[in-house]
Amino acid sequence: MKSIVYNMGYFLKEAKTLFKIDLTSNILSILSIGLIFFILALVISGWDIMSFIVETVEREAEINVYYKEGLSDTEISKLLEDIRSVEGVGDVKIVDEEESYLRMKDILGDEAHILELFEENPFSPFIEVQINIAESDVILRKLKQVENIEYIRDNKRVLDRLNDIVSVIEFVGILVVVAVGISTLMVVSHIIRQGIYNNRDQINTLKLLGAPQPFIDFPFILEGFFLTLIGGLIASILLFVLLNYGYGQVELAIPFIPLPAADSLIRSIVTFTLVTSAILGIIGSLLGVAKQGEGFRG
Amino acid sequence: MIEAKNVSLVYENGTVALRDVNLHIEPGEIVYITGPSGSGKTSFLKLLMGIEYPTTGRLKVMKQTMSKINASNIRRLRQNIGPVFQEFKLIRGRTALENVMLGMRFLGFPPKKMHEYAVEALKNVGLEHKISSLVDNLSWGESQRVAIARAIARRPSLIIADEPTGNLDIDNAMNIMDLLVSFRDQNTTVIITTHATHLIEGKEEGTFIRIDNGNLSIERKGEALV
Repeated sequence: MKSIVYNMGYFLKEAKTLFKIDLTSNILSILSIGLIFFILALVISGWDIMSFIVETVEREAEINVYYKEGLSDTEISKLLEDIRSVEGVGDVKIVDEEESYLRMKDILGDEAHILELFEENPFSPFIEVQINIAESDVILRKLKQVENIEYIRDNKRVLDRLNDIVSVIEFVGILVVVAVGISTLMVVSHIIRQGIYNNRDQINTLKLLGAPQPFIDFPFILEGFFLTLIGGLIASILLFVLLNYGYGQVELAIPFIPLPAADSLIRSIVTFTLVTSAILGIIGSLLGVAKQGEGFRG
Repeated sequence: MIEAKNVSLVYENGTVALRDVNLHIEPGEIVYITGPSGSGKTSFLKLLMGIEYPTTGRLKVMKQTMSKINASNIRRLRQNIGPVFQEFKLIRGRTALENVMLGMRFLGFPPKKMHEYAVEALKNVGLEHKISSLVDNLSWGESQRVAIARAIARRPSLIIADEPTGNLDIDNAMNIMDLLVSFRDQNTTVIITTHATHLIEGKEEGTFIRIDNGNLSIERKGEALV
């Protein structure tokens, strides 16, 4: 350990020399690792965003009950009571035309001016019903039997579709993580083996001088670590640019889609990418140097 | 320091490099090994460094039985040896100082001490003005001296120099010989191989080993030990 601390400057210098000896291969490796990690970061971002949307929709699970026109206040009060009596139903409240209009205005934000195209308020009053999403099928069946209900709008189909998409992204994500892991390990271990081959005379001399195997291996492990870390950094920069641009576009095109905060999403994906790249770099290097110690006789 | 009893070395292709070697070398001895090319000099040094195993017999180097030695003990043994290789084995693209320090980096010297010993060793071989020169730009003789500096800077118990005079002219060859002998002290044994017998003809002190076809003949002159 003391020897590693004493020689850290030497190890870093050696790693730099190893990098320079096979400069073209190393640069190409960094670029390919960068692109591989960029794909990984994209998939993980998609996974995160979809999970966030599903969670938000589930958390705010509610159905909108539209009732027949021309009901008296007494009939509306009875309808509210009937709905409340259904098991699994939480808060029940009336949202009038005015509130519906204001809510849509909030959702549309900067684009709310399109509402001004309507001469009259186009929204109808409805009853907002908080429900337990797990019991939504039973609740909907029971509500359909309640008198004076014209139409029920629920998010279940949307949720099911979203969950399907999340499952697909999850599956693709796992495949991508495995593929990224294997290909990174292959690229790094190959480049390290190439470095060992290029430096076989130096390694042989060190063995004859009695250098311990970790001392010989350490610069190669550092080389692999930096290769993948720089690759991870390139992927992070690409992701940062793409997410910032993509968020702006999505918010303009579909402002009502709930998205996780861009800053925290980028921070978590960048941390994940850098940590994963560093770990894979070290493992790949260890695989690369694995058989080096066998010929201890020099 | 070194004890050989009936040691033989036969390579896989059947070539007999050493036959029935019996030898005892004490700490502080200066040992000259001579013999024509291919006589077994380098093979003997390979046995001492744990690059080859004895085929038969028992060889002990610094208390390690070489036929049973494991990887970590070989490393430890080599850390106590200052080797000067026939082809130098310097690391290209590094300076003379970096090459000398490289031989010491894993021996636990604090960085300042390591630097001090390396500079001192380069001064001892007359290369203080070449400390920062890349070894790629050094002459044959200078490279040889860097290799010697790398060997002595480690403060080894055993210096092994394989044909250190190579193709040098007689004056430079004598200088290299004298330089190596000067590092012998109570704790450091020096073993030098050479095919140029004229370089050691005038020596009045030391152990003289002649190897011919794998057979050894030993002669001790003067005060073999310090």
